[in-house]
This record gives sequence, C-alpha cells and structure tokens, in this order.
Amino acid sequence: MRKSASQKVGVAAAAAFGIILASGQLSLPVVGAEGLPEGFKKGDLAPEPAAEMIEAGKRVYFTKCVWCHGVDGAGDGPGADRLWPRPRNFNQGTFKIRHTASGELPLFDAKKPTPGQNDLFETVTHGLPGSAMPSWEGILTEEQRLQVLSFVTTQLVKDRKFTDKQSETQTILQMGDMKPKPANEESLKRGSELIVEKKCIECHGTEGRGDGNAFNLKDDWGFAIQPADWHKCWNFRGSRQDPYNVKNIFRTFSTGVNGTPMPSFADNTTVDERWDIANFVNSLCERDVEGNPLPIDPLTDKPKINFVVPSNPVEGEIPADMENEAWQKAPKRYVAMGGQITHKPRNFVNRIDDIWVRSLYNDKSVVYLLEWDDRTKSVAEGKLPWAPTQVNIDVKEQDPKTGEDGSIAANQNKYKVYNDAVAIETPVKWKELPAPIKPRYLFGTNDQFPVDIVKWEADGSIRAFKGTGWDKDFEERDTYEENLKVLKSEWKNGRWYVMIQRPLGNKKDQDYDEDTFFEVGQYVPTVFFAWDGHNGDAGRKMAVSAFYYTFLNPPIPRETYIYPAVIAFGVVLLEGWVLTRRANKKKGKTL
Amino acid sequence: MKALMSVGALIGVVGLLLLVGMIFDIIPSNTVRLVEGYMPMQMLTELAFYVAGFAGLSYILASMGMAVPRFWQGIGFWAFILLYLKFRVYPPIPFSVRAMYGTVSLVAVFMWVSSNEEDWKKFKQPIMNVLDAQSGTNKMLRYMYLILLPLLIGGFSYNAMKPKSEEPIELRTVHPAPPASTKVHGKTYVLQTSQNPYRVNPEGKYDQEYTNANIVEQGMGRLMKPNANPWDDKNQGYLKYVREGGEIFFQNCHFCHGDNLNGRGLHAFAFNPIPANFTDPGTIAQLQETFIFWRVSKGGIGLPNEGFPWASVMPPWEQHLTVDEIWKVILFEYWHTGYYPRTWD
Repeated sequence: MRKSASQKVGVAAAAAFGIILASGQLSLPVVGAEGLPEGFKKGDLAPEPAAEMIEAGKRVYFTKCVWCHGVDGAGDGPGADRLWPRPRNFNQGTFKIRHTASGELPLFDAKKPTPGQNDLFETVTHGLPGSAMPSWEGILTEEQRLQVLSFVTTQLVKDRKFTDKQSETQTILQMGDMKPKPANEESLKRGSELIVEKKCIECHGTEGRGDGNAFNLKDDWGFAIQPADWHKCWNFRGSRQDPYNVKNIFRTFSTGVNGTPMPSFADNTTVDERWDIANFVNSLCERDVEGNPLPIDPLTDKPKINFVVPSNPVEGEIPADMENEAWQKAPKRYVAMGGQITHKPRNFVNRIDDIWVRSLYNDKSVVYLLEWDDRTKSVAEGKLPWAPTQVNIDVKEQDPKTGEDGSIAANQNKYKVYNDAVAIETPVKWKELPAPIKPRYLFGTNDQFPVDIVKWEADGSIRAFKGTGWDKDFEERDTYEENLKVLKSEWKNGRWYVMIQRPLGNKKDQDYDEDTFFEVGQYVPTVFFAWDGHNGDAGRKMAVSAFYYTFLNPPIPRETYIYPAVIAFGVVLLEGWVLTRRANKKKGKTL
Repeated sequence: MKALMSVGALIGVVGLLLLVGMIFDIIPSNTVRLVEGYMPMQMLTELAFYVAGFAGLSYILASMGMAVPRFWQGIGFWAFILLYLKFRVYPPIPFSVRAMYGTVSLVAVFMWVSSNEEDWKKFKQPIMNVLDAQSGTNKMLRYMYLILLPLLIGGFSYNAMKPKSEEPIELRTVHPAPPASTKVHGKTYVLQTSQNPYRVNPEGKYDQEYTNANIVEQGMGRLMKPNANPWDDKNQGYLKYVREGGEIFFQNCHFCHGDNLNGRGLHAFAFNPIPANFTDPGTIAQLQETFIFWRVSKGGIGLPNEGFPWASVMPPWEQHLTVDEIWKVILFEYWHTGYYPRTWD
C-alpha cells in the first residue's frame, strides 16, 4: 500500500514537473516523496557482520587482496605503484559503484548476497572492468566473498562506520521497482539534448569519448582521473559483466561515483530524464553493422576477437573518404591492444586499448583505415631524447616501489608530450617460412627474416623501417617512403582517423628483401602498434596487438557459380533414379 | 511411474526452452555458467537431464495419445545434439570437431532406431510413404523434396566454394621439451640438478616437505593455512620468501597472469596465445621448478619453434629480474596455487 501510494506521489511530482517544463520554467530541484530525490527511498543500515565472518575474511584478504590493497587497506600494496587507476584505499570508506545516494556508504550486508541490494558483494563478484580488479566469481565462494567484505568494512574502513546510525544514512535507489524506458527515437533524442543541458559533455566530450576535460580531473586522493569513454561500455567500472545493460548506466548516473568528479544527478533530473540519458549513452557503445551489441567474451569481458582483417577489392582508386560506400561495406575489426611489457621501457599503463581496423585494396596498393579513441591529440613539443630508431635497452625504469608520490598514477598528465602514432608491422619474405612460423611480433627475428614497419606520427610524417630483432636498432628506409601515402589523418572529438596506403609489392618495383609482398587470398601476419603522446609513449613504450592476419579477399571466381548448378542438376538425376527404382520394385511386387 | 515421467517431461521442457532462448540470444548463454574445471562433468549431467526429459516427454505425449513417431524422435534428438554443441558449449568447439561429434551421434541414433526389426520398420515408414506418394500430402511433400533438395545442395556447395577468410588454425605445444641446462646472468644451471635456493625450512636447509606443508589449502578459494600467513612479520625462511616473491609477482607478472594467477590479467585479453593459467592442473603443477626457472628467465623468445616463440609476449625475465627474484617468484606461484612442483624422478 505504502509503496503504491508513494509511487503515485512520485508520478504526480513527475507530472507536475512535466507541466513546469512545458511552461518553460526550468531548474527546480526534483524531489520525490519524503523529500528524497525521485526514485530513492530511505533504508536501514545493515547489522554488523558476525565476528567469525570478520576473522575468516582476514584469511581471505591476506591471501588474495593484500598484494594490491595493502596491509592496512590503504591501497598501497606492492602492486599499487604500477597501476592506474591505483587500487582502492579503503580507509575513507569511499566506494564508486553504489545504489546509495552520493556520499553515502555502499550497500553491504554480510547475510544477503542479493543482486541489487549488496553493492560491495557485486563489485567483488564482477570486478571493475577497465581496472586491475578482476571478477572473483568462480574463484572465491559466495561465503568467502562475504567474509572478506566483512573484514574490509569493519577493519579497513577506518574513518567511517557501516553501523553508526548517528553519522550514516542509507538512501537507496529503488532499481527493482523501475522498468527501463524503451530506447526509441524520441527517448534517444531527448537524451542527446539532456547530455548537453546537464553539461555531461563538458567532461565526457561532444561525442562521449571522454575527451572533454581530460587533463584537469582529480580523484579524492589527488590522482589524475579520466572521464569514461561511452563508446567502450565494457570498460565501465559499474558494467557488472553486462555492459550493454542500460540499468548500469542509470544507476551510475543516479548515484554518482564517490571519490571522483562524477556527481549524482538525482537532485536535478527526473527518473524519466535519467532513463533518456542512460538510453542515449548506452546507444553510443560500439555495435556491429546491424546495430546489435558486440558479442562479449565471458573470459575477458571484452568484445570477442576475430584475428582476420579482411580487405575488400575495389576497382580503380581507393577512396580517401570514409563515407564512401566501399569503406562503409568493408568489415570492421576490433584489434585489442595491451601494454608492451616484454622489453624495456615497459608500458604498464597503456591508454590505447583497442583499434578499429578496416582495409581495401586495388591492383597496386592496400589501404588500412585505423580508428582509435585517444582523449588528447598529442604532437611532440620537443625532440625525443633518443632517436626513434634506437633500441634503448639500457633505459632506466622507475622503481616498482616509489610510494604514492612517485607512482605511475601520480605521474599521469605530467609526462613530456610526444607524438601520437600508429604503426603496422608485417613480415618480409613471410612465404619462405613454413606456416605457422613468423618473424617475431616485436621487430622481427633476425637479418634473414626481418619485418617491414610503416609508422605514421601525429606530426604528419610517415616513415618506413626495417626491424631485425628486438635488440637491434631499426633501419630507416629512406627510399620506400615515396611509395607510402597518408590518405587521411584527423583527430576529432577524442578519436583518430588515419588512412595509410602502401604498395602491394611486386618484384619489378620493390625490394623483395625489405618489403612485404601482399598476395590475394593469403594470410599476411600483421601486428599493430600504437602510441599515446600524452602518456609519454615513445619508442618501445607503446601498446601492441597480437598477430592478426590481413587477408585480401579474392574476387569471386566463375567456378563458384558453375559447379553448384552442375551439382544441383546431378541431384535431380539421382532423385529421378531413386523414384523410378522404387516404382519398378512396387510394380514387381503387386504384379 | 507417471509422476516420475512428468517430472522428466518438465525438466525436458524447461531445458529445451532454455536452449531455444540461448540459440535466439534471448537468454545469455552464460545464464547457467559453465564453471572452469568442472565443465565436462557439468555437460554430462546436463545431457543426462535432457535425456531424462525427453524420455519423460515422449512418455507423457504417448499416454495423451499424441505419440511422436520414431522417425521424428530420431531426427529431433540428433538436431538437439547438434544445437547443444553449437550454442551451449563455451568456449566454442571448432566446426570440424562438431562435425565429428555429429557423425558419431548420427550413428548412435541409427543404432537406436534400428535396434530391432519393428523399430526399424517404424522408422523407415515415413520415408517410404513419401516415396510412394499414395496420399495428397505425401504427393505434395514429394514434389517439395524434388525441388528443394537440389536447391539446398546447390546452395550449400555455393557457400562452401565461396572464398572465405577464416582464421588459420595453428596448434602450439604449450610445454615443449626443455634444454638440459640454461645460462642466466652468466651462470649455468643444469635443470636436472638445480634447486630453488629459497625452498628452505626455518633452519635454512632445502626442505620440500616443510614448504609443501605451508602452501595454501586446495579447494575453493585456495586460502592460506591459518597459521602460515606470509604477511606475518615474524616469518623466517620460506614464508618470508613467499611474500617477497609475491611482491615481485604483483609488480611484474599479474598484468598478464592475473591477480589470481589464472591467466586473466589486465592485458591478457589482447594477447594470443593467452597467458598461462597457473591454477590449472595442466601448467605448473605438471612441471619441475627448474623448468619454470628456464621458462621465466628466457621467456617466449627462448622457446623452441613448436612453442611459437614469435607470438609469445612472455618477457625474458633475465632482462628485468635477478636470479634470486626469479626463484622467489616461482616459490610464490607454487604457494599461491597450492601445488607441489614435480620432481625429476
């Protein structure tokens, strides 16, 4: 009864607000029943976990968690200094993903592992994608997850108390009572207007790629922090291993992210408006050609990878215009990028974690269209301290244990700015090696089996290198550059669009010992490298992909049409034969 | 009997609905999660449930006078197996393997429907009816087959002949034969005789029994023994070194091998081959400590060709760590997974 009554009040309030909106009077705070923001209700603090739970949780904590979160839960374990974002400092009781109002403690009840009613339990269960916090489901039992949280909330949260009725309140977002609004055109349109009106784009950028205010944001502990990129919903911290679910966005938008500049919008938006915004943000996340969510690999919680980059044939010139039909039809591949942590200088925190690749070819050249999100356009302010061709093995790496001040997180946005860049590496003479052998993914094997590297940099240059092993300097190939062409390079609203053209290669014009020759219908191993200039990426501090394959799709040969027709005709003959036989046999019987 | 069969039928219907939901992507295929390590048992159990469900279903239908002909039972069960293999099992099985399973189950279905003369006749009957075309429906069916079969087979062969770009299958040996000895930081280590210098008891003596007694407990969670906390400041010997190894692991290795050593670290999604899962009984639990020492020191680049040295992103750790640090990390990996290193005899 009470519920329905308060719902009615809520509806009435919403309707009233609608009228105010319609009459052009704006910006009244939206208040639902009981003076709370719409969609919220007062809740009770959970009881203190049992002492045995806390004691058992200590054992879990010191086996699994202490390595990053530290002995006192201050987020300063041995792994902390090389991570960005840094592991959570529990002491202040500041937790990001909650159903509770901004600034309040999250929901946690050691006796109730119910989805939607136990924020911390869900965080441990599903992890925080985009950070180093993994999903602990299937590793720790439900009981163990509740135990460790009992320990953390009572012993390691030091500045606040989960059971203190004097200082703590719980104002809970009633997700269970709410149904998402259908994401129709009208809702999306309103959402797209609201993100401007509510100033979301000031931080998240005009296209929502997190490029709005990428430099000046800090978390509660003074570390640099980046606004979320709405196009990569699988990296949303609150995505709960269900990234295309609009409820997650609604929740984060309603409750805010404690400890970060992301506020709660519960006070100045209606529930209805919040659904519109959530629908719009959700619609921005990358989807396939038909507009369906990308298939997510449950083992990695990222989009599933297809290692073949198909290249379609085109007649005549390859268009430089992305909107051209040939590009629109070309299959788009997700290329996952990890930090280069094999050789020094290692890149523990890579800001570029994927590239979208398309390709076209004609009788002379192959073109790659590379798109990737980069919050900042970086063009080098000064010269590199070493030549870009140099190996630089002896570079000194930062000590792994530097304390908060010297940690990677503290250094963010303070790096010397180099060029954003992208490179495509393909092996030379790959046909001479028996499959699956390839030159090594990092700069080739040796002089006999080198790699051909084409690198574009944000200063507009395109250069070609020959790599002959991880420990050898690159050879810059001065003459080959004349053959290369940048058809397009543009940074717009947090995304780079770069189109690189290179020759297919033939024995007449090119050097077989130095160039990769592309052949139609063959799998040409391809590795992608990317550098974010504002991350201090240069030389080997970069992001790398695994081996992909460029596959020039052959035009469909005539046999493909002839043979099936012949086969179908054969089947007709066979059918005739079977039927006649059966008929004869029956006749024989009846006679 | 009837009650039992009804329960079976209910299970069958629910199971089928779940599967259909998964096929059409209405229900995410991880609704009932296949748990790592328990998957084969889980699948067998599921299949057993389905079989029970089908038996129940056909019994109930028969007792209601709507018996499913043997012919359709056979076809239906085979189709079910194919769909189950394609849509339920994760990670997906390659087509060639599915085709093999499909053939085996086709043979099994044939054996089932031809187990006695009467069944076989019942099974054949619908086919013969269509061939003879005595009734109107059968005549229609016969003409339909006459037209559809050539079209379908022609279509399939067109699809098969169209140029495709599927990822080439490359099989890699995960644990290739190690060399007899390896040289790290200027010193040669013979794999058969070298020992982890930190696998010691409090008196500082090499002691496998002592260290094995202090590793984490097997079973869900793999938690440390209550009285063997490496973070205890009073530790001497083994547990102190475990902690030092853990610190090195979480500064260097977890980026790929993961916070729980299960190969699902921060960067793991980008790499192929995927990082080793140490909690899997097929990795470090199968190997000698010195084998790990060789693999860690020399990295992916030090593998023989069958291990795909060109694709592995495993660093040659001698470039980043000292010999002592490598031994400590290995000590930690065995402690944290609760496995014993294999010995050479």
